[in-house]
Amino acid sequence: MSEPRDDNRSETGSGAPKVTSDLGARIARARGQRAAEAVTEQTRQGDMSGMSRGFRLASEFVAAILVGAGLGYIIDMFLPTRPWATVVLLLLGFAAGVLNVVRATADMNAATAVPEDTPALRDDEDD
Amino acid sequence: MAEKPIEPIHQFRINDIFNIGNFGGDGTPGSGVHIAFTNSALFMVLTVGLIAAFLILGSNRRAIVPNRLQLMTEMSYEFIANMVRNTAGTEGMKFFPMVFSLFMFILVANLFGMFPYFFTVTSHLIVTVCMALLVFFTVVIYGFWKNGLKFFKLFVPSGIPWFIIWLVVPIEIISFLSRPLSHSLRLWGNILAGHIVLKVFGGMVVALLAAGAWGVVAILPLGMAVALTGLEVLVAALQAFVFAVLTCVYLNDAIHPGH
Repeated sequence: MSEPRDDNRSETGSGAPKVTSDLGARIARARGQRAAEAVTEQTRQGDMSGMSRGFRLASEFVAAILVGAGLGYIIDMFLPTRPWATVVLLLLGFAAGVLNVVRATADMNAATAVPEDTPALRDDEDD
Repeated sequence: MAEKPIEPIHQFRINDIFNIGNFGGDGTPGSGVHIAFTNSALFMVLTVGLIAAFLILGSNRRAIVPNRLQLMTEMSYEFIANMVRNTAGTEGMKFFPMVFSLFMFILVANLFGMFPYFFTVTSHLIVTVCMALLVFFTVVIYGFWKNGLKFFKLFVPSGIPWFIIWLVVPIEIISFLSRPLSHSLRLWGNILAGHIVLKVFGGMVVALLAAGAWGVVAILPLGMAVALTGLEVLVAALQAFVFAVLTCVYLNDAIHPGH
């Protein structure tokens, strides 16, 4: 969409065949641009407002706990395991919630990628 | 107006516009399924109508040099198409119609909700849950249809020693099952909370103005209401976007299972 096609259009007549002859090259260039745009798009997605970021993490965490506890409760209703399935699955739900939050933050961090030329931090661990 | 208490929840009430009929039940009131065309249904129809009009009017000229309306429709197409390609790969483009429909429906429904006296379709959990379950079952059905039993690799991350795996698999399964819940709760919660807060601040303005000399202070909640209206428009667009992005992320799992 941001093709500078006006330069080719400026001289009509002699310019017209040229426009179609380098069409393949321009399509290839536009395809390459799509990959580059994808990267900038990703960085732009990173700056969601803080509230939506918080809401995303909170809902990921709470949902996993609710699902875990709910599954455990259903299992307890049908199997003579009361109350152990609820307890165990609630704890697993906590773990799944943490996993969800870690994944969501990893996605968010990947969206706001650190530029490649950033100097790396010194590794303080003496291993 | 001053005597009538301002209910922040009243705006979410569902009213029948015309009755379609009762189905099933034994004739006693309250039994069977009551089906009616409600204000929620009306705004769903309006939302779909507006989107259809926007896209049909915008694309029927098919000009090489687009006018403004055509440019807007093309931009909305490009925006979602790029998002699907980036998150779910080129293979994900077969789900483009679904993602685009969901995005446009949520976006327009949310923005409709910003008009005074309009009903907000997405402020009801049942609507967002239906959309989230549609995505969830699409992922599950397509995942099994395309990958067969290899779809279960989604729950078994590679490179995990055998004595950890029995702990990791249930966690992964719960994490997977929690997706439709968080997917729907997020949209619903944002919209519901935003509209309630707007109504509360608006109600404070009215209450303070009715309180005589204290009416001068009403400028404070009024300022908040103005600021929050701007924020709510942002939230409306952002939540539609977030819903569509997460749809793509989940579809990506169905297309390429295994981390």
